[in-house]
Amino acid sequence: MKPTVRPSFVRAWPCIASDFSTFFLRLPPPPLAHARNIAQIRHRRIHSSLSPPPPPPLLASSPPSVPPPLFLRPPKYTTTVADLLEWHSWAKSLAASVGSSFEDSDNGPDSRLLCRELNWLMEDVLDGFDPSLMHKAVARDDPDVIVSSRADVQELYRLWKQRIEERRPFQYIVGCEHWRDLILCVREGVLIPRPETEIIVDLVGDVISKDQGLREGLWADLGTGSGAIAIGIAKILGDYGSVIATDLSPVAIQVASFNVERYSLQEKIEVREGSWLDPLKGVEGKVAGLVSNPPYIPSDDIGGLQAEVGRHEPRLALDGGAEGMDDLLHLCNGAASMLKPGSFFAFETNGEKQCKFLVDYMQNQLPGSFCNVNTASDFAGTQRFVTGFRNG
Amino acid sequence: MRNMSATFLRRSRTGYSSHSPNWASRAFSIRSLFGFAAPSESRLEVPESSRFRGSDGSGFVAGPRSRVGASWVRRLEETLGRSGCPARFGGFRPFATRAAVEPATSDGLTVEGIISNQWTILDESEGDWKSHAAAIAQSISLIKRRLQWKNLLVRLELLSRQLDKPYLWDDPQHAGKISREHGTLMVKMKEVMEFEQELLEHIDMIKLAREENDADLESESLKALLRMRRFSKEKELEALLAGEHDSCSCFIEVQAGAGGTESMDWAAMVMNMYKTWAQRRGYGVTVVDEMSGEIAGIKRATIKVDGEYAFGYAKAEVGVHRLVRISPFDSNKRRHTSFAAVAVIPILGGGFSHVQINESDLRIERFRAGGAGGQHVNTTESAVRIVHIPTGVTATCQNERSQHQNKASAMAVLQSRLDRLEMARQAQMNAQHTQSLTEISWGNQIRSYVLHPYRMVKDLRTNYEVSDPDSVLEGDLDGFIWSYLSDLMDKDEASP
Repeated sequence: MKPTVRPSFVRAWPCIASDFSTFFLRLPPPPLAHARNIAQIRHRRIHSSLSPPPPPPLLASSPPSVPPPLFLRPPKYTTTVADLLEWHSWAKSLAASVGSSFEDSDNGPDSRLLCRELNWLMEDVLDGFDPSLMHKAVARDDPDVIVSSRADVQELYRLWKQRIEERRPFQYIVGCEHWRDLILCVREGVLIPRPETEIIVDLVGDVISKDQGLREGLWADLGTGSGAIAIGIAKILGDYGSVIATDLSPVAIQVASFNVERYSLQEKIEVREGSWLDPLKGVEGKVAGLVSNPPYIPSDDIGGLQAEVGRHEPRLALDGGAEGMDDLLHLCNGAASMLKPGSFFAFETNGEKQCKFLVDYMQNQLPGSFCNVNTASDFAGTQRFVTGFRNG
Repeated sequence: MRNMSATFLRRSRTGYSSHSPNWASRAFSIRSLFGFAAPSESRLEVPESSRFRGSDGSGFVAGPRSRVGASWVRRLEETLGRSGCPARFGGFRPFATRAAVEPATSDGLTVEGIISNQWTILDESEGDWKSHAAAIAQSISLIKRRLQWKNLLVRLELLSRQLDKPYLWDDPQHAGKISREHGTLMVKMKEVMEFEQELLEHIDMIKLAREENDADLESESLKALLRMRRFSKEKELEALLAGEHDSCSCFIEVQAGAGGTESMDWAAMVMNMYKTWAQRRGYGVTVVDEMSGEIAGIKRATIKVDGEYAFGYAKAEVGVHRLVRISPFDSNKRRHTSFAAVAVIPILGGGFSHVQINESDLRIERFRAGGAGGQHVNTTESAVRIVHIPTGVTATCQNERSQHQNKASAMAVLQSRLDRLEMARQAQMNAQHTQSLTEISWGNQIRSYVLHPYRMVKDLRTNYEVSDPDSVLEGDLDGFIWSYLSDLMDKDEASP
């Protein structure tokens, strides 16, 4: 719950300023110390995956040039409400000037969406304080009230300029994406997890609720990126099972490991570097579930992508070859050898065409390998996922 | 208010606990007791001095005949078989008959009697016991009216009969519901009855003190009456919020009426009024869903108001709110009339069994479904709409930063809406709830906010009015709410 806001801003402020853990109410501060070395902690009892993430560890593994996500920075800056509001109204008018021009050109965000992002940026910068209350507060009291924040105002100007002028994705600006009930850190070089992909975890949830054997098994998330699916699955597996998350990109490996550690899931999730199924050597025929959101956009479509995606997100995570099917087919062909009998798989695709093609391919080109091959839709009604089970 | 209530209970309990099993015989000795006791001790003995008038109008009862005149609290408990010896008063008697027994002072003065004496009610500072007593008696009578006392008695009787059924616990869920409701009702009624009894006891004390020329005792009882008088005002207000779901948190929905931007702006003003009102009251406020107007304002919005009695207060706002002003959106500066409709839905707590929702009955949709989606699109828009197919009820949420959380919030709204539907359905079956049904459905115009040519806010139900619209629009709503609630409750009881 938000801190109770009393009519007087001046009186209300001290309690808000001191309560900078508010943001973490969604992720209460955990007591567990996290270990860095997986080997060292193997012998420890696996604690519940529901345990909240640890306090932000040092970004030891990331290059010094990348600042940590805004919401994890200490609120070491101070600024007056007046300065902050000046920035805010500048940012708001910049957002308003966009109108629907981005939307018209490449289906980008309109000013309404940008204004919402601006509020979220305030939320991340300001220790969970409700920004809309600041205006009223100022109207009543002293605009020289000091606010503690996680970034100085100059940086805020720079960040918002990047958002509007360079179309830098909001998630890279704040360094995180809210996905399911998680807050995942992201940065350039890692695909920002999409809302559609949340459903893969739901699909897995359905399967493991009916089959304890699968719940206790080994799961693999190939091309994990920020680690979103792997962490989502690890959390619903609860005290059972484990997950291997793979990615070819060293940056993705770093970010995924960081997120895994933040949720204290090092004992449940092993992050392995390598291309697709390569890192699964040693577990052939033992995998209980295999999921992936591989690049599936046809190469020709990359140029016309929304600027936030095309200009800023890693092509490695988007470009699926001429038909967009290169990686999906590679996974289909290799999956059978990794999966044990009765195991489950789910792949995200570009839509109905790819879904149908894959279903047909599995039934006709890989006869006898899979059963119950089906498609599932995302919340927008697009056929987005192909799911099925390994025969046997 | 809670503190007050706790104090009240504690004090009452002291009074109650001194009812010894053989109270009737002790009642004989009361005068002699008072004669010897120091004032402070005698206060503890106060409850013994109560006398009761029998339903047969036999008046002052004591000694062996006291079976008819047992204390109210005891009487209730006997009826409900709680005393451990239900046969003591000659087995089961219809509760209604017993309920007709009124507590009275030693000389037969009842609360009704005090009221009919029409003692002048002076200012609190005047130390006149009659004035205090009359004020308290009026409060008690008002509280009973507001609680719909007669209905409560009937309901209690009904529940106790059900509790007496031997096979009740064959259906534990039903039995649990019955016994929970019974318990709540008992507590509620007991509190009032004890309050009533306390008043009469203090009157007895004062009379006694005068007979004995005990100035200390008299002034002490007078102080006690004054305390009760102040406290009774609190209880009057509290009694306004005695509805089944009044203590719940709630959702407040505001929807713009016809009339484009001007009425969307009005809807936004109304929503803002509730946000500030709720925040001032110390409630938690969360925007669950908001659909902005194209130019200004909102088409509709839903907020969640978290806190005790949020629903009890906010339900007074259900209906259509009308604004008259020179529209800032009209270049010709003409006067416009706009409407905004307000609905309030309680968020039912643990005791209530929620409507079961089958996952298969739901259709979940994302907004702005256009475009390829997936990896093609980077959007922070993750609004979700859930349709409950069998009823057509929908809920949306777009305020959260992830689709998952939007879905969870929308599910909560959907659950509440379905619960409300179910409540309405049950209310239809249950005639005594007809009133609440009209409360929760979209009512008619309830209030007018005029900014031009004169300035006034007037409630059309109560005629309560305020000449400063700004303060109202800034959330100063309590006057309207109290006046409506008291009007509603007090009128309600007056009609047969």
